[in-house]
Amino acid sequence: MSVRVLHVQENLLASNDVVAARNRRRFDQAGLLAVNLIASPGAGKTSLITATLRALAGWASVAVIEGDIAGSVDAERAQAAGAAAAVQINTGGGCHLEAHMVERALDGLDLAALNLVFIENVGNLVCPNHWVLGEHLKVCVASTAEGHDKPAKYPEVFAQSDAVVLNKIDLLELTGFERGVFYSDLRALNRRAPVFELSCRTGQGLAIWLDWLLKHFAPEARVGQSSAAGAGQPG
Amino acid sequence: MHELSVAAYLLEAVSEQARQNGAQRVTAINLVVGERAGIVAESLRFAFDLLAADGVAAGAALNLRQTPMCFHCDACAADYTPAEAVFNCPRCGQYGRVVDDGSALLIESLEVQS
Repeated sequence: MSVRVLHVQENLLASNDVVAARNRRRFDQAGLLAVNLIASPGAGKTSLITATLRALAGWASVAVIEGDIAGSVDAERAQAAGAAAAVQINTGGGCHLEAHMVERALDGLDLAALNLVFIENVGNLVCPNHWVLGEHLKVCVASTAEGHDKPAKYPEVFAQSDAVVLNKIDLLELTGFERGVFYSDLRALNRRAPVFELSCRTGQGLAIWLDWLLKHFAPEARVGQSSAAGAGQPG
Repeated sequence: MHELSVAAYLLEAVSEQARQNGAQRVTAINLVVGERAGIVAESLRFAFDLLAADGVAAGAALNLRQTPMCFHCDACAADYTPAEAVFNCPRCGQYGRVVDDGSALLIESLEVQS
């Protein structure tokens, strides 16, 4: 019997990455933008989705994939806010979404008819980071009510996000949230991600988030938007 | 808190490596795990032993090499490992930039019998 060492040097979750790449191809073939939203419970993921849905009504066809431990409340909220489709994934206790769960959810969507898919991950700032889902953009939602220490306590999600939403900015004065600490820690981890200070409740700051999101839509959609915007410009 | 999921992926990857390389038995699995990856070594071993049952990786030793989170301070031109949740450079107090966010989850090598 021979004993050998196999040098593997492979991501432990490589088989998840394979499925995520398949999801990504489906998103790209359909020409849509996929956004993975990660936050702790109560930060406002669903509120951000419903506020975005209302703002984009008539502009874009948006589907929502809702990841929750149980229940379908969030999918119902997305549908009521104007989602073209909402698929609920119940992880049955699992603390994060995995690429194969999203793959199954995609089977229930008419991807070619969509411009944007929000994937609302299970409320958790730790586990969802390890499982890529095929998304184009990873967006972390924090909120003033949670405190300014989230980047320091959960560095990975802030380091890896393409954008950070700081929700409940209307409550800033009430919470003792220290912007200086939040931004110093965040910028140590991630210098490129834009931060959108907004309130899903009042609508404050939402327009800047929407502008950024629209910039990342598929090229075809961008052409449509720029010509529509151009038509309204004088001269 | 997600060690069972990680263990399931680990077993799948290890079993596939063993199959591809004609190994009869996997005796050790050497992993690189970032200190901020949220993996509790004992929980991972427990979950892995449970799942590996009597398969090719049953009884394999799970060796974890932990890698620290690492920042670089431009002012001091030096790397540093932050203490807990304090990201400032311990020498000059400035905020550095992250070099390694401590999230590694890697299968480095396997020791197998064939």
